[in-house]
Amino acid sequence: MEELIAQLKGKIIEALNLVDLTPEDIDADAPLFGEGLGLDSIDALELILLMEKNYGIRLKNPAEGKEVFKSVRVMAEYIAAHRTK
Amino acid sequence: MRTTHKVEITPTSVVLDGRLLPFRESGEALLTEVYRQRVGDWPKFFKMDLLSKVGFLAAELLLEAEGDRHRGGSDRAVILSGRSGSLCDDRDYQQLIADPDDFYPSPSVFVYTLPNIVTGEIAIRNGWHGETMYYALEEYDPAALAAYATLAFTDPQTRSALCGWVECPAHEDFYANMEIIER
Amino acid sequence: MIITSIADHILSPIGQTSEETFRNLRAGDTAMRVHAFPGVPEAVCASLLDEEALRPLYEALSLKERFTTFEKRLILSISSAAARTDIDLASDRVLFILSTTKGNISLLDQAEGFPPERVHLGVSARRIARHFGNERMPIVVSNACISGVCALLTGMRALREGWCDYAVVAGTDVQSRFIITGFQSFKALSQAPCRPFDAARDGLNPGEAAATVILTRAETAPWEWVRGAVRNDANHISGPSRTGEGSFQALEAALQGVDRRELAFVNVHGTATAYNDEMESIALHRAGLDAVPVTGLKGVFGHTMGAAGILECILSMRALEAGVVLPTAGYDTCGVSYPLQISNVERPAKGNAFVKVISGFGGCNAALTVRKR
Repeated sequence: MEELIAQLKGKIIEALNLVDLTPEDIDADAPLFGEGLGLDSIDALELILLMEKNYGIRLKNPAEGKEVFKSVRVMAEYIAAHRTK
Repeated sequence: MRTTHKVEITPTSVVLDGRLLPFRESGEALLTEVYRQRVGDWPKFFKMDLLSKVGFLAAELLLEAEGDRHRGGSDRAVILSGRSGSLCDDRDYQQLIADPDDFYPSPSVFVYTLPNIVTGEIAIRNGWHGETMYYALEEYDPAALAAYATLAFTDPQTRSALCGWVECPAHEDFYANMEIIER
Repeated sequence: MIITSIADHILSPIGQTSEETFRNLRAGDTAMRVHAFPGVPEAVCASLLDEEALRPLYEALSLKERFTTFEKRLILSISSAAARTDIDLASDRVLFILSTTKGNISLLDQAEGFPPERVHLGVSARRIARHFGNERMPIVVSNACISGVCALLTGMRALREGWCDYAVVAGTDVQSRFIITGFQSFKALSQAPCRPFDAARDGLNPGEAAATVILTRAETAPWEWVRGAVRNDANHISGPSRTGEGSFQALEAALQGVDRRELAFVNVHGTATAYNDEMESIALHRAGLDAVPVTGLKGVFGHTMGAAGILECILSMRALEAGVVLPTAGYDTCGVSYPLQISNVERPAKGNAFVKVISGFGGCNAALTVRKR
């Protein structure tokens, strides 16, 4: 799981162009949205795309993202349970 | 109508009010250098397409020259023009949908396939609610640009405008010639 | 001196003139259906023009060179509007103002033998103006979804400033893989005919139309294009303001000096996305328009992008003439914070003016008031 979390942090930084951040700057248990990383609605759609592209997961309803993107750890757990690649 | 400040950005130079600013980099790396040296507090910059980066930085430099930062209000318009519009980002987006076996259209690339997004980025940064407009022109024509800017002043609320030409035909290739004009 | 319109034209999937489109709209016609779009994985519910059906109309134009679909539709609409006037379109007192978001973008996918620079909006616009023998540099407004209203406003301003005696304002967009996959990436498309302001709304439909209005100055005339304004939310490049700030401010500016009781209706943007319609309800409420009837037309025509603002203004003029508030197809149960005077059936109109309001990516919003005298 820790390996997946580390990999995911790198992919999030790349996909969302968080140029000034390193994986160490992202707390795996902190909320992804709201305060902190300053992510917005387009970033949420990009995270959905990231899961589709890298792990073969298709969220049918973008609203599901709210639960999945609570933190990097929650996201990693979701990916581990649902990944098809 | 008078021009208060002017800026010109090319891949190898940044000239603000007639003064060449010292930077080392060139091309898109120059834009990152300008951002780091003169702005620094707006990480959204790194999410922007090339057109928005160039227009945004030109605006930041003009506002730096203006000094007292003009925030909020509805009295300042942003009127930009160009030949290629969002073509540089259009091509990037087209690449993403070209291969049916590697088909992942990205919303953050698509959103910049509208050339007026750069005017919105500038309005957002400054909290400006005034008019924002993008006109496409066949070729660079300073007289036409000046005329287009005056149209924004037919709105009685417009007191000043950030306007001019911003052009990005391809990656590493860009040109901005923008100014602040006042009633 | 006032700004007035002397001719207009709509090319839509339900009509080849403004009158035919209006008649069929009132009869409940729509071309909205599910299409398999080449190269797009999911089916798309859209209102599209039928190129085969348009061929005889294109042929009647006796074009002297090859034009793209985008250009042909604009030439057809402009020719049809101008045919109702005695204007010489080649005159240097005629200014072409075109409205589009993506113009010839499909040439990136398939060049169809056109040179690469044809994808530049200014280059394409010049070809269109030259077809009519007009050598003035056309103005192309590309301001996302609000382009049509911005082009009309630019025409009004150009006339007031004396730049021209006639402004030919025309807009269109051709739906393509490029645009449709982009909207899909935003999860913004509905799989069924869209439902503006409804509790069950779940996105927009792509649409196609071309529309033209010819504006001029007059001392007195049946139509007065009163005032318009563009304002920015200064909030987010794709998400509308939570307070409807830009739309509210545009409405306030466009309605300056206009008694709200004069308004027969507001023609809204009403894309049927969750955020747009909610934002518009807030903006209308803040602008004191709660009691004014509201019409949204996207349930019939979809989002026609560069044509939308022009198409919706023309149909609003026809509605004022007919003394009706057009229904909002797809609306049933209020799904926004501030209930509007909205209905899915036609109602009699009281009042002699309307305001058109529209919003787009980049945080831009526009409003425009038109009065029947």
